[in-house]
Amino acid sequence: MGEFTVHRVRFFDYMPSAIRAMAFNPRTERLAVARADGAVEIFNFADNYFQEKVIPGRDGGTVEALCWVGPRLFGAGLNGAITEYDLENLRPRYSVEAYGGPIWTVSGDSAGTMLAVGCEDGTVKMFEILDETIRFQRNLERQKGRIISLSWHPSGALIAAGMIDMIRIFDAETGRATHRLLVERGAGASKSREVVVWSVVFLSDHTIVSGDSAGKVQFWDGHTGTLVRTHLVTKWDVLALAVSQDESSVVAGTSESIVVQFQFISSTVGRQDNEWVRTRTFKNHSHDVRALVHTETAVVSGGMDTQLVVRPLLDKVEKNTQESSLRKIAFPHRSLVCCAKKAGLLLFQFPEHLELWRLGESEGHGRAGDSLPVKRKPEKLIHLKRKGDDHIRCSAVSPCGGWLVYATVSGVRLYRIQHDNNNIGVTKVSKLPKSLCSAHQLCFSSDSSKLFAASGLSSVVVVALDPLECKHLHTLRPKSGSRQPVHLLCVSDDGKWLASANTDCEVHVYNLKKMKLHCKVPVYSSCPTAIGINPVTSNLVTVHADQQVFEFSLQQKEYTEWSRRLQQRGLHPVWLQRDTPVAHITFNPRNPAHIVLHDVFMLCIIDQSLPLPEARTPLLNQMMLRSLPEAERSRQSHAFKICKSFQHLLSMTLLDDQSLVAVERPLLDIVSQLPAPVRQKKFAT
Amino acid sequence: TAARWFLPVPWSYSTQRPSHCSGARQGPAAGGEASDLGGLLLESSDDEAPEEVTFEDSKTQALRSMKDALDTVRREKEQLKEKRRRRQELFQEQKVCVLAPSTDQSDHKTNSFRVNWTPSCFSLKGNYTVATVKERSSATFQQQVAQDFIQSRLYGPGSCRTTNNELLSLQNKKGRNQSAAVQFVKKDWGEFSPKSVRPC
Repeated sequence: MGEFTVHRVRFFDYMPSAIRAMAFNPRTERLAVARADGAVEIFNFADNYFQEKVIPGRDGGTVEALCWVGPRLFGAGLNGAITEYDLENLRPRYSVEAYGGPIWTVSGDSAGTMLAVGCEDGTVKMFEILDETIRFQRNLERQKGRIISLSWHPSGALIAAGMIDMIRIFDAETGRATHRLLVERGAGASKSREVVVWSVVFLSDHTIVSGDSAGKVQFWDGHTGTLVRTHLVTKWDVLALAVSQDESSVVAGTSESIVVQFQFISSTVGRQDNEWVRTRTFKNHSHDVRALVHTETAVVSGGMDTQLVVRPLLDKVEKNTQESSLRKIAFPHRSLVCCAKKAGLLLFQFPEHLELWRLGESEGHGRAGDSLPVKRKPEKLIHLKRKGDDHIRCSAVSPCGGWLVYATVSGVRLYRIQHDNNNIGVTKVSKLPKSLCSAHQLCFSSDSSKLFAASGLSSVVVVALDPLECKHLHTLRPKSGSRQPVHLLCVSDDGKWLASANTDCEVHVYNLKKMKLHCKVPVYSSCPTAIGINPVTSNLVTVHADQQVFEFSLQQKEYTEWSRRLQQRGLHPVWLQRDTPVAHITFNPRNPAHIVLHDVFMLCIIDQSLPLPEARTPLLNQMMLRSLPEAERSRQSHAFKICKSFQHLLSMTLLDDQSLVAVERPLLDIVSQLPAPVRQKKFAT
Repeated sequence: TAARWFLPVPWSYSTQRPSHCSGARQGPAAGGEASDLGGLLLESSDDEAPEEVTFEDSKTQALRSMKDALDTVRREKEQLKEKRRRRQELFQEQKVCVLAPSTDQSDHKTNSFRVNWTPSCFSLKGNYTVATVKERSSATFQQQVAQDFIQSRLYGPGSCRTTNNELLSLQNKKGRNQSAAVQFVKKDWGEFSPKSVRPC
């Protein structure tokens, strides 16, 4: 079938950022995740948990809490400001200073009219939510001590605030503090240490649930202000609480990396005396759990180990189905690596800088599985720090390796790279057209003459490259008028076609010779995660979040014969059950029937000349085929050739010289550089 | 003993002689100076008993003098603080005025900034331009305090933390395929240092 020399790249020191806060919007089924570096990510729970959007953070911008108000997303952090995010342009829409010092928590009432923030100076500030902005209304009675957590009573009349050593209940109308619930400190040595109430939840029957730094989950009666029940859950802190929509289940996340569930049930079957009973314990993390969300069917947790874990509750979903499996999202769903195919260079995107590396060279030949000796080691050519405070949103390097570009929320910067002998020179191109103000995706044409930048309203700006001054050539616009951002861009090798995909699941194809819209691919219900244009056949291949694969002929403006056959047969169940999306599609210049794709755990070459696999035959058959004699092999081969030798893959490209570049980032390398976990004494260690 | 809490009290006696005794009643000696006592002694006869002071009186007097001493100390401290504050303010003022002449000389050909200076500052003479120094505002200071709070609560003393190496090694030893402890490729990975335990 083919032998490839593989460049196994492990020098991309990608470090994800810890999850700090989460908020779920049940109506749109979107989960917003705030990371420690200030980035906000949106996951679509209705579309196989696809990471739809990423809003990059900025230096010094922390997000301590997130809150949905209808379709609007608000965040607040230690810089003392409340930010509303623009989810169409993927940037902060505006920030309002609260003037209360660092903000620890933000919460909206169930009516969606008021936003309450808990501040360092001990005030709970109320903001009115208006159409275009939020407006400060008033402060509640000022307290001595910082407000760490807040929860509205569903009626909107009361607010519970978790502070240090106590919980305060405020009357939202008058602003007065009505009750003070004193939280007991830890026993023994921790008696002298103040107890911090990290999280509170106010239920509609006026029960208040609190999680504190002494490791207790306590249930209080909000009417009388008395303690009903205490559960000592851990020796360390209880950092997060979440309650289900129907208030029958509460989950608590701890520093010990476990998530504990409490359910409001009766201890004896048949009786009606419901009480809060500790039921399940989930151990899906290795480090502190700092954020929790309780959806209707699952518990979503995230924390210092940077992984997003979705644990479906087995009493809400059908057992042993795709729906009931545990999901761990550890890697981004978009590519952070760009490969300059002709020059053999790799561009790595970090939040604060870019790195350009030259691939190494090996010599000799070997058999499958051999490691070849390295003749020349890979070397880092450029380390480019970004200008300003904003983090890098997207970047690209041209195939010839002569141009480098990156974009932040505030602007785009283009650089010319000169290679002469052993010296590398980087010069910034200062004159850029005004239309290139910000970009969601960037892409160079294969002849390095043009730069394509995805801009607002799903449009694409075409810029002619010139070392001195780049001129705006054209703005390609879709007819649909979608306001959603473009998250995928690809250009064909012959420079004739450009395809763009947005988060409204639309894929548009533009004719670059005529500079106008060529066609729009029929909209499929799942969002595309990778697109590619075959250089020989000019067929557009799209892979979607639900793992469906389509091939669309650009000449005929219809799905190809092969694609129809694939849809008729249906994709193999093992293929459909994969839980990471395909992040990149590339093609084999020597064999137009090959489609090379990869996700985090596998590399797959789809050979369109071979028969499609049947559902009852195993999908992963490469090992088995190798053991068969030649004649048998060709009878049993099918189109999907999957290799799982490389993990965890961040990128996979095929260079012009038939060598594969696999950029791996082993999970162990990430875990080893995380902050310290708690010390747990295990029996017999 | 309780005696050491009492400042040396001037010893004075005052006696209330019963009415049937003859002789003028002498008032209590003021402050108890030797000369006064001497005076008293001169005036009263030799065989009269020294004046008695009640316990209550001497206690209140001792307390009063102690309070006075504390008051003086506190007043002095405040005066010192006030003096220091005034000096600091003066330095700040001087710094603002002195900073102006010492900015980037290379900039002096380009456009100069217009700044409203308070009358107490020196006026700028010659080719000087003004550049704003990016200083740490109080907002970032508060942010730092808040971050330090989280850091110390989660990773500070008493938080019982271990290293990632130990966590992974334990997983290796208790896992299904038991293997040796984890040896990191780079020696400084996962080191328990204040820099590496920042949660952000």
